[in-house]
Amino acid sequence: MKKSYLRKTREDIIMDTVIAIFLAVVFFVCVYPFYFAFVLSFNEGVDAARGGIYLWPRKFTLENYQTFFTDDRWIRGFLVSAVRTVLGTVITTLFTAVVAYGLSFRKLVFRRFYLGLVIFCMYFNGGLIPYYVTLKMVNLINSFWVYIIPQALNLFYVIVAISFFQGIPQELHESAKLDGAGEMTILAKIILPLSLPLMATIAIFSGVAHWSAWFDSAFFIQDNGLRTMGYLLVEVINKSSANSGVSSVASSAQASISVTPLAIQATAMIIAVFPILVIYPFMQKYFITGLTMGSVKG
Amino acid sequence: MKPRVSGADGKSVWRLFWQQRHIQVFALAGVAYLAVFSVIPMTGLVMAFKDFKLQDGYIGIFTSPWVGFKYFIEFFNEYNFNTLVRNTIMISLLKMIFTFPVPILFALMLNELRGKVVKRLVQTASYLPYFISWVIVSGFVVVFLNTQSGLVNELLVKFGLVENKVNFLSNPDMYWPMAVITAMWKETGWWAIIFLAALTGIDPALYEAATIDGASRMQRIRFITLPGLKSTITVVLILAIGNLFGGGLGGSNFDQSYLLGTNGNREASDIIQTYVFRVGLSDGRYAYATAVGMIQSVISVVLIFLSNKVAKKVTGEGLF
Repeated sequence: MKKSYLRKTREDIIMDTVIAIFLAVVFFVCVYPFYFAFVLSFNEGVDAARGGIYLWPRKFTLENYQTFFTDDRWIRGFLVSAVRTVLGTVITTLFTAVVAYGLSFRKLVFRRFYLGLVIFCMYFNGGLIPYYVTLKMVNLINSFWVYIIPQALNLFYVIVAISFFQGIPQELHESAKLDGAGEMTILAKIILPLSLPLMATIAIFSGVAHWSAWFDSAFFIQDNGLRTMGYLLVEVINKSSANSGVSSVASSAQASISVTPLAIQATAMIIAVFPILVIYPFMQKYFITGLTMGSVKG
Repeated sequence: MKPRVSGADGKSVWRLFWQQRHIQVFALAGVAYLAVFSVIPMTGLVMAFKDFKLQDGYIGIFTSPWVGFKYFIEFFNEYNFNTLVRNTIMISLLKMIFTFPVPILFALMLNELRGKVVKRLVQTASYLPYFISWVIVSGFVVVFLNTQSGLVNELLVKFGLVENKVNFLSNPDMYWPMAVITAMWKETGWWAIIFLAALTGIDPALYEAATIDGASRMQRIRFITLPGLKSTITVVLILAIGNLFGGGLGGSNFDQSYLLGTNGNREASDIIQTYVFRVGLSDGRYAYATAVGMIQSVISVVLIFLSNKVAKKVTGEGLF
């Protein structure tokens, strides 16, 4: 390699600088909002309303978290979201795998029809109102199961899983069959263990979707005891944005006078984001696999 | 009995079906599920032409009297029809124009970065916003833009850029920029992953040859990197066009409009989707809302087919 090949030209220096600045800005813009909400959640609400907080809490307090964790509504919302996330993730991942497993047999009778239906349903839907009427017909409106059942099959991942399963050598299936294993056993003992990265990808995406869901809780549920945390967040955000025009926050009906809707909002946001941040480093490995697997198809 | 079928000739379809029944069960579970949660709602679209009332239940969709295009005409005569259509189209187009190129630019810049650790760090930070919901994003918007303690307003006043604090959240002129910028914030890092993946597929020998021939860095990007990205850009663009009125790649229009929409900015933030929801679920005008939603769906379906056709022509590969 010649020396001039490595030497930085003026163009190089300018470009490197521009890129470095741009990427630094991107990094800051992506991370700072999380950090700022974190700081706000530890700052006294009335004090924070004066503004001027950038990097550290000015009047440190745990009051916001205390308010959150002593409020029955938030605790319930937290629990409902947690239960739906765990249950929903397990059911979606397994059901998606089961259906994809069935569809992955090349010689399956009516396979073309089944696959056609899957693709068709992936691209078309009946819209909000007919969907609502259907949910009402099957008695899911105002039931906890409306969080779980309508999300139980992820069609995009059905397609991805089919091609993944087809990559697994058929001999494995045949020899297990000869040893007397049933289809369910083969799926559980051979196919799923071989597809762990894919299963992790499906679980991560459906888990994140379940954890942050609010729409179904807002429109398919009337019982306040069944609201998810996502829904409660929407409520408190509306409250604090409505409040932002008013100069006095003392008027808001909060447990403590120094806890503002905005402070509670920041606290709830941090609590909602926290589990995602915790699993984030672990999930990166998987979702990139998932994305590229999907894009090969798409 | 062997459920796996081999040498199927001569056997009747149903006999084969019976032989593979243990596997058919798996597939049929999915089919049954789709029948209930996808096909039945699709048949429900008929209610757009019916005098349907919710208390009649699902069967009521078919037993209720026909009203023809009554609801469609009603919508065209609706006083805010123009606003709804304008907002839907403009928000979708603006998002497409501004949010589509940014991930490409971002991926190119990351690609030019030499330090591996820094690259990883920036990239990891960049797709973090993708994993949080629009609820949290709207929460951030309120935290940063409120007039009371919002950081943005505080800095604007501090540096003398504005005299009085700007009421971003309920100003109709601010909604469109807000929608575009938040969509950009949330999705840039994520879509850059696809472009970065495509970049790794470009043969390094091309760059070496170009450098030896005296090509500058800009020229290398212009003549090697960008052409290498062409097919990926085409595919992603087509996907985005297919979902234009849903809000582009991330399909964010409804969430944004519902969560960032306030009484103050309604004239700029109200779109067909939020209108459908409002008149449908809140006002209980089910059939009318279905008809309105259908108009947008039909346009979307046409867009999907058109973009798919173009995709097949350009890249030789369609989505279906």
